[in-house]
Amino acid sequence: MPQVVKGEGALAVAFGDARETISQAFVHKADSYFHGGIDMECDHLAEHGLAAHDDDHDHEDCHDEHDRGEAMQGAFDPWHWINSHVRAPDVHRHLGGGETIELMPWFWASVKADPHNIDAWSTTWYIANNMMKDKDLALRVVTEGLEKNPDDPELLICRGRTIYDNGRGEFAAAREAFSAAVAAAGRMLQRGGSPDERILKARDFAQAYLDEMAKKGMEVRNSRGR
Amino acid sequence: MKLFARQVCALVKLSFIELWRRNDIFALVLLGLALMVPLSMATPFGAEGASRYLDEMALLLVWGFSLFIALGTGQRLFPPEFESRTIYPLLAKPISRGRLLVGKYIGAVAASWSALAFFYVLFVASVLLRGGTFAAELPQAIVLHFAFVALAVSVSLLGSLLVSASANLTLSALVLVGMFFFGRRLPEYAEGLNPALAWVVKTVYAIAPHSEFFDMRQRLVHGWGAVDGVVFLVALAYAVVYVAILLLLASCVLGRKRL
Repeated sequence: MPQVVKGEGALAVAFGDARETISQAFVHKADSYFHGGIDMECDHLAEHGLAAHDDDHDHEDCHDEHDRGEAMQGAFDPWHWINSHVRAPDVHRHLGGGETIELMPWFWASVKADPHNIDAWSTTWYIANNMMKDKDLALRVVTEGLEKNPDDPELLICRGRTIYDNGRGEFAAAREAFSAAVAAAGRMLQRGGSPDERILKARDFAQAYLDEMAKKGMEVRNSRGR
Repeated sequence: MKLFARQVCALVKLSFIELWRRNDIFALVLLGLALMVPLSMATPFGAEGASRYLDEMALLLVWGFSLFIALGTGQRLFPPEFESRTIYPLLAKPISRGRLLVGKYIGAVAASWSALAFFYVLFVASVLLRGGTFAAELPQAIVLHFAFVALAVSVSLLGSLLVSASANLTLSALVLVGMFFFGRRLPEYAEGLNPALAWVVKTVYAIAPHSEFFDMRQRLVHGWGAVDGVVFLVALAYAVVYVAILLLLASCVLGRKRL
């Protein structure tokens, strides 16, 4: 079998498929930063998907250093006691607003390691767009992501949402992005095999935006006609 | 007592001279600069203002370098003396083997601490240069790091009396780095293993040096505040007791060693 290197550049040659694991490790690190430096056993940040991420999410189903071990060992463990006090803060908190800039280096490292990690691209976009409210940065992220992953429906939706949310009469550009997302998702679904849940979701999401925009356009036209 | 103090002072001085003359520290600082300067100039996605990752990387380097210095210093305490036979004039001073061990250990720890203090000065300078502030928990973090260095020197010292230099450095680094990153998770790992393996993992958890107790990097980077005073003292007491046990074992090994 011929050995084929997936991707380009020194990282691809040196690490091959291990890049995906490295990339995920950087995403995990960013998640830890989001929780103020704690390794939570949850992926809330990566799970935002296309829906809005709840910044005030609770962690009832997640575990941090405080409860890890306590649940496993009935007897008092002095080593765990020291660890839980040295390595875990007493207050659980999330980064918010401008502070989330601290997550960027880790996501940057993640997408450098694996430029096809769509989760990393879309989460980076989410942080720039929704948490930092920096639309220019969000557009830069998604443009770079689309350069590496042309026609990815999820990234096209991200692009469309940023343009749409700008609300400066850029509806045509937003509609173009959502239409491209629907078309790209359609092409992916036509390739055969079992339909990917994420692609289906992306297509429906983009279509919902297109429908909403069409409705708004009708309302604008109707109000002008009166 | 006065004689012991003079002997220890002489050994400390020797350790200082040996460590700083070797230029290891300057090579490490250059390596650190080579890694940190490009990192500090990076602007991910063109966004500026992130600094925690730089602090984290710098602290990781400080920890790595301090471990390198501590293991090397501990390893070089006795084997070179045995090989070059300079142990004979040393023991003829007169000084007992126990005193020689303690004196050399204190010297090695003091020299390693001086290197660590130098690294922290550079770290604090880099934070201040980037417009950061002096973290309130930094003194605690430094003290715990000093305790870790003392522990690492004692591990390396005991190993140097038992196995060859390369084996000692490899094993000591494996144990300390392994415990640093995975020590707190060992009970979790033991849960999924068969009873015999689980017992081995739990025994390692019970007796291996818990280097992770002294790691306050996340507290520093994310500004969690200082550790509770009682916990801080317990962690220090752990280091003192562990070092004492290792030195006692090393003393037994050295006492039985045929010179």
